[in-house]
Amino acid sequence: MQPDAASAPSTPVVEVNNLLKRFRREDGALVHAIDDVTLTVDPGDFVVLLGPSGCGKTTLLRAIAGLETPDSGQVRISGRTVYSSAERVELPPERRDISMIFQSYALWPHMTAFKNVAYPLQSRRGRKLGKDEIARRVRQALELVGVGELERQYPGQMSGGQQQRIALARALVNNDDLVLFDEPLSNVDAKVREQLRFELVSMQRELGFSALFVTHDQVEAMELAHRIAVLDRGRVVQFGTPQEIYRRPATRYVATFIGAMNEAPGRVVAVDGSGHDGTVTVETEHGRVTGRTHGARHAVGDRVAALWRPEHGALHRSEPTAPNRWPGAVKAGLFVGSHTEYVVTLAGGDVRLWSPRPDLVAVDASAWVSVDVDDVLVLPEDQSSEQPQDAPAGELATAS
Amino acid sequence: MTATLERPAPPTPAEQPRRRRRLPGPFDSVTLVIAAVLIGIVVLPLGRVLVRMFWVDGALTIDPIRRTLELPGLGGMLRDTLILVVASSVLAFVIGTTLAWLNERTNARMGLLTDALPLLPFLLPPVAGAVGWTMLLSPRAGLANSWLRDLLGLVGIDLREGPFDINSWYGLILVMAFYAVPFVFMNASAGLRNLDPALEEASRLAGASTWRTLRKVTLPATAPSLGAGFLLAIWFGIGMFSIPAIIGGPAGIDVVAVRIVELLTFTFPPQTDVAIGLSGFVVVFVGLAYWLQMRILRRGRYATLGGKGARARTLDLGRAKWPARVLVLGYVFVSTVLPVVALVLVSLNGFWTPDIRWDNLSFTAVTTAVFDDRTTLTALGNSLGLGLVGGLIGILGAAMISLYVARRRTALARGIDIAVKMPAAVSNMVIAVGILLLLAGAPLYLSGSLLILLIGYLALYLPQASIAADAAVSGVGKELPEASAVSGARPARTFGRVYLPLMVPGLVAGWALLFIRIVGDLTASAILAGTANPVVGFRILEVFTSGSFALLASLSTVLVVITATVLVVVLAYTRRMSKLGVSASVGGVK
Ligand SMILES: Nc1ncnc2c1ncn2[C@@H]1O[C@H](COP(=O)(O)OP(=O)(O)O)[C@@H](O)[C@H]1O
Ligand SMILES: [Mg+2]
Repeated sequence: MQPDAASAPSTPVVEVNNLLKRFRREDGALVHAIDDVTLTVDPGDFVVLLGPSGCGKTTLLRAIAGLETPDSGQVRISGRTVYSSAERVELPPERRDISMIFQSYALWPHMTAFKNVAYPLQSRRGRKLGKDEIARRVRQALELVGVGELERQYPGQMSGGQQQRIALARALVNNDDLVLFDEPLSNVDAKVREQLRFELVSMQRELGFSALFVTHDQVEAMELAHRIAVLDRGRVVQFGTPQEIYRRPATRYVATFIGAMNEAPGRVVAVDGSGHDGTVTVETEHGRVTGRTHGARHAVGDRVAALWRPEHGALHRSEPTAPNRWPGAVKAGLFVGSHTEYVVTLAGGDVRLWSPRPDLVAVDASAWVSVDVDDVLVLPEDQSSEQPQDAPAGELATAS
Repeated sequence: MTATLERPAPPTPAEQPRRRRRLPGPFDSVTLVIAAVLIGIVVLPLGRVLVRMFWVDGALTIDPIRRTLELPGLGGMLRDTLILVVASSVLAFVIGTTLAWLNERTNARMGLLTDALPLLPFLLPPVAGAVGWTMLLSPRAGLANSWLRDLLGLVGIDLREGPFDINSWYGLILVMAFYAVPFVFMNASAGLRNLDPALEEASRLAGASTWRTLRKVTLPATAPSLGAGFLLAIWFGIGMFSIPAIIGGPAGIDVVAVRIVELLTFTFPPQTDVAIGLSGFVVVFVGLAYWLQMRILRRGRYATLGGKGARARTLDLGRAKWPARVLVLGYVFVSTVLPVVALVLVSLNGFWTPDIRWDNLSFTAVTTAVFDDRTTLTALGNSLGLGLVGGLIGILGAAMISLYVARRRTALARGIDIAVKMPAAVSNMVIAVGILLLLAGAPLYLSGSLLILLIGYLALYLPQASIAADAAVSGVGKELPEASAVSGARPARTFGRVYLPLMVPGLVAGWALLFIRIVGDLTASAILAGTANPVVGFRILEVFTSGSFALLASLSTVLVVITATVLVVVLAYTRRMSKLGVSASVGGVK
């Protein structure tokens, strides 16, 4: 929204620096809802905040919107500081020039769809639009989200999906640089959800606003995002494209939260080469597993975990020649349509693999499992999962 | 989807970021002043009473307490008060929880009928009920007694009076209980509604019978709500003046609240010292009840809200369904409809006699008694005006405070919230006495003025205003105003366009409750009003002491008609609004 925003397209739409927000729960314990988060959203970017319920997604979004006062840190929107603990700046939400869609939609029940959508046009300071101009833009927004015929209806007279669309029109009508979404699709049924997701992506690409979208649904995140920020207890544990997050999860937490994963903990017994092509061999309960280091530094004796996805494992009736191969017995074969999920008991426990062939090996028969070296990730034991959640009570000096 | 949206015009000059919001804005400042005034008119009188108890004419003394303790018949009066309050509260507790359970948990429920009707006594002025019951069950002239005698005559039992006597222990306890039932019913219903049905279902699945589930799961888990209802019934009983005055007086049952009014209003010169000493007993008794409840409730941990408003499966009563329904409706009929019918009959009949001349009923008596009588007419005008204005001031002030408390979760906000609701825990009587002490004499000399009445009503009914306003504010929720702020609206605009329209039905309902309370009030009216500025409550007492029962019936009928009219209009309005998704209720009646 800076006058020079157009000439300097590289100015991020959102910059969050070292943001911190703690809550004191009823029982007195401290919750780090936002724990030192740093994050940028570039113009035109669709960023998804992904994490399980309670990890601080909503709090982060509300802090950016100005609905929650952080304890410390900085938030800039389109180059303008809207919150800074160091500079003692805090702009109220109505002066941040952003839009937001709430999980409950938050449509005003006493206003028609038209009035709901017109409201942001009438409310922004320093601007007076004519009646006709407002009507024109409201209709345009309603048409855009495909509910032009609902303008005289009250929210109470609409279906969930329709309310959702009105909320979307209300968020888009000002054509702000930034639109925040707090799990907007979690309250509509699966079919409508898919449709809305699709429309949302094409609208965002067309209108060019930047989106910061909160969800706990990894499929939704994958589908919508240019980039995903995975949150774990108030921290951003990985920030990357959907592909990066899926292929190269930075931690075991990310790896197991996004998609299915086989895990085998163990100790490093050999490191061979470094850089991208280096390999590392891990002694696990299944036997030895070799994978790529992807540049990470491991030393012999480190406690690590070897991980691979079910779709990368292969099942054989007889011993294959691949370096990662282990004998076992098929415990179950679950046909799910597109593929069959085999559960195979190895020396260290059960692993899962997906194969397009439903009748590869009979249940209870012995078999071999193999996985390509390129498909095995070796990650250090998660630190975050051992970290204490609650800081000592004395630390809360700045919280109100 | 080919349309694109236009860019907004860029905001003119580059803005200077504002300082952090710490100082209260103009809106908050006004709210804080209002809160200070409203709390002041409760706390200062209370403090005045406490000080006066130990500090007379500039010296420390225990004279008021000594003179109170020397009061003849003090022990008997305290015993009578205790018996009356405890017995009527226990009875109300039994009736209220039974009604609530039948309504919330069984198929005896009949929608709005059984939801709302048991609450009606909460809205009717108790004084009207007391007079109505006197008309019904007075030993000789009571209408119901006469009807019963006729019935008994058919089976050969001839009675000259009775069979019932309202001016008795059981009569007084019964009527007090009827008026205390809504407090229990409201709280027990809420408790049952909020209880996670899974708790009860788990017990049933574990093999427990309905009865055992009720005893072992439902009742213990809803204990806090039930306890709160019981406590409210106790407080109501201690502060209640009109029912014991009208029903207990003739029976010689001596109650503290009645005695305080007598000492202040009907004794010359007023024995303020003793009245204050007695107020001290009331405060101690109320505090004791509160302390006991806290002790009992702290012993256990209680389950509350379950999943997403899941309504518990109702119990099929089978053949007992209709008897249960008849029981509920019968209760409503006896407790609420009968006394009102008696009032109306006597006032239309012109004078009080068991032989109603059915073909000769007319409004003449009511007109002469109420509208041709200058004093009564003045009293009526004063009461309606005070109800209108007092209700408006009360509910708007309370609404601003509720908004402030909801938006700021600071210690100050919590403190204000507690202070505003505190008068509910102190007897009305004591606050009214304090206001009399503080404002009636030097330096303000407000004695008998409309202003002192207005202040008294506001102080007394502030908690009810606050609870109604809380409901209105919480009905708006958090996200609707937030969505407005994110849309770019300033706080004042958010207030005008989002908070206010959504709160109006709730505020109208709250106003109606205050109006009804003020117009039907006897406590503050008895202590604070004077002959120069009479109000309905004061006039009713005058008429009662002069013994004109037909006039009393007419006045009470007018009171009931005014109450009912306001109630019906406001309920119709709020129901219409609820179609827009904005709901409200008058004292729990939707
Ligand atoms: N107003 C509050 N008071 C106390 N704790 C809160 C409050 N809001 C959020 N929290 C806590 O902060 C954490 C993050 O909450 P939230 O941001 O709502 O998570 P998410 O949206 O990811 O589900 C949770 O542990 C939650 O209990
Ligand atoms: Mg959330």
